[in-house]
Amino acid sequence: MAFDTDPRAEPVRLSDRVYAILALPAMAFFRLFEWPLRFLQRILGIGAMPYVFLFPNLAFFGIFVITPLILSIGFSVTGGTNLFLQDRPYVGAEQYGYLLECGNHLDPTTCREDRFWRAIYNTGTFVFFQVGFMVLFSLITALILNREIRGRGFFRAVFFFPVLLSPVVVALIWKWILLRDGVLNAALVSMGLERILFFVDPTWSMFWAIFVSVWAHMGFYTLILLAGLQAIPPDLYEAAEMDGTSKERVFWRITLPLLWPNMLVVIVLALIKAVQIFDEVFVLTGGGPGTATQFIVQYIYTTGFANQVQNFGLASAASVVLGVVLFALTIVQLAVTRRKDEG
Amino acid sequence: MTEIKLNKVVKAYGEVEVIHGIDLEIHSGEFVVFVGPSGCGKSTLLRIIAGLEKVSGGEVVIDGEVVNTVPASERGLAMVFQSYALYPHMSVYKNMAFGLENAKMPREEIDKRVTEAARLLQIEPYLQRRPKALSGGQRQRVAIGRAIVRDPKAFLFDEPLSNLDAELRVAMRKELAGLHAKLGGTMIYVTHDQVEAMTLADTIVVLSGGNVAQAGKPLDLYNKPRNTFVAGFIGSPRMNLVEARVAANGTGFDLVSGAQTIRVPEVPGLEAQSSATYGVRPEHIAITGEDDADVTATVELSEQLGGETYLYCSADGLPQLTVHQLGQLPVERGQVIHLKFDRSKMHVFGADGNVLANGLPT
Ligand SMILES: Nc1ncnc2c1ncn2[C@@H]1O[C@H](COP(=O)(O)OP(=O)(O)OP(=O)(O)O)[C@@H](O)[C@H]1O
Ligand SMILES: [Mg+2]
Repeated sequence: MAFDTDPRAEPVRLSDRVYAILALPAMAFFRLFEWPLRFLQRILGIGAMPYVFLFPNLAFFGIFVITPLILSIGFSVTGGTNLFLQDRPYVGAEQYGYLLECGNHLDPTTCREDRFWRAIYNTGTFVFFQVGFMVLFSLITALILNREIRGRGFFRAVFFFPVLLSPVVVALIWKWILLRDGVLNAALVSMGLERILFFVDPTWSMFWAIFVSVWAHMGFYTLILLAGLQAIPPDLYEAAEMDGTSKERVFWRITLPLLWPNMLVVIVLALIKAVQIFDEVFVLTGGGPGTATQFIVQYIYTTGFANQVQNFGLASAASVVLGVVLFALTIVQLAVTRRKDEG
Repeated sequence: MTEIKLNKVVKAYGEVEVIHGIDLEIHSGEFVVFVGPSGCGKSTLLRIIAGLEKVSGGEVVIDGEVVNTVPASERGLAMVFQSYALYPHMSVYKNMAFGLENAKMPREEIDKRVTEAARLLQIEPYLQRRPKALSGGQRQRVAIGRAIVRDPKAFLFDEPLSNLDAELRVAMRKELAGLHAKLGGTMIYVTHDQVEAMTLADTIVVLSGGNVAQAGKPLDLYNKPRNTFVAGFIGSPRMNLVEARVAANGTGFDLVSGAQTIRVPEVPGLEAQSSATYGVRPEHIAITGEDDADVTATVELSEQLGGETYLYCSADGLPQLTVHQLGQLPVERGQVIHLKFDRSKMHVFGADGNVLANGLPT
């Protein structure tokens, strides 16, 4: 072959050969599609081929995203307990009315569906503190990891590791630490302190819900911020040093403004994820004590599936409300990232 | 009054020493240019003076005070970076004002200084723009402006013109010279372009491999290079340098390179049977008749610039010789010409590369 004798060709590395061998089964697999695709191209024409390639993904998207979306809108405007849409009577906006009706919107006890409003207030509290701490701690971690410290690679891996764990695993790990007879209480007792029943105290439960979800996802945001920090030219810091800039001013006037696009991405992504919080906290506290850590997604889940009377209509209406909120946040995120790309 | 002194400054990165004990004295108001090939340590030396790098040995003295442990921000120097290093999120005005705000200078004073510098550098129309919206030359001016407003003890420039195109570079070079005349501050300027060095400097410091090869006035370096490195580095086109064997011939020496022999008078320090290098600048080679000639050579390339002519010639045993003649010469490629070296302008270097004679008796 001509390649082999080309003097400019780079020498073939061993790893390349290994990959080439590993790739053989994959190539054999893709060969299977060659004939059907040729056939489709013959009958549909080359212009239709992009759509042929898009079809599988669009089909999945349609079945698992678009259809449920339309169905849940359908469920939210019908009543009764029937599962099949054609058997459910049309009730218009009644479900939404029931969900949103309150004597005083600031006090969940005056609402007709007080569990929903409690979930909203719980979620609000959670989002406020969780996003705040998330941004703060991932920023601090990124700033530290951006320094020339010993074992930097190791620490980066350590902080990113929890991101790779399944939420249920994360929650179980912390549950075993925090239980009445957990590791933490054992440590407290051995130091001569009182045992604390974390999951019986509403404030502690909320605290640990926030703490665990920050711990689990911080690595991801740290990585985004670290990338932003490393994109700041080191020259600027030297110029600032020559300009006699104090450390704090360097942070507030140079690092933070130049990191701001990444910060916005982190804030918005963290917001979206926090509003959707469910699995970790559900496994950790089960929403308790009482409803102290019950959030919107858990409300939807229990209303629709876990209660004795499965109220699909009300659950769907709550989903639609949540969907609208998330949609608005996503629009903000898109606007933010677009501005970053232009800037 | 700003005197900067380096005493036996050494810099090592881990095991690798890149600056090998440099002594240097920079006087107040002087325009000093560090010049040398890539990797010789120019930027490192400048950054050591700035305080952006710590020395591994020796001391840096500014106005009589050893500043080895004084941070860059407190040395009172201003630096213009090769990349300009403008703050991208601040307007031109803010970029220039930033250092002054750090020093908590009153608003009116800041405004006065920035406006003044902007007028001097002709960047007034862009004061509200971001650096992104400026051309390379305009950014360069802003970077210089940022240094000027601080009224520093000395200006440090690291290859400030190397990102500009040739024409703009020449224009900015003139402006910098004018600026130095106007401001009169001490300036240390790093470049690898020896033309920039010759035209701007009061004092040139030629660096080679982490050592000072020679420091002095531009024309002193040109006329009296201390070694073959400086001889070859300063001057464009380069000095012709020829390696030769030395043979005694009764009244003086024969410098023999292959088939070519150049006869020179007695040179102190030159020994028979040793090797040596002689150098002659392109403008010190004359075209003569056959009887008078030192070398008979073939023209390989003739560059006719109108006002002057460059000939690139080859002769057996010699490297390519560059010859510079004023005016226009009817010489063509392949033609054989006879060359004579001006003995009074010839340089002879010993086997170690150090100079034995700059100009020979005739
Ligand atoms: N951080 C560093 N670590 C190790 N070696 C370095 C470091 N910085 C510079 N050097 C080495 O020091 C030597 C001098 O570098 P310096 O940047 O001063 O060269 P220079 O003369 O400015 O070259 P140029 O004209 O290419 O800018 C080089 O050999 C370089 O490899
Ligand atoms: Mg350099």
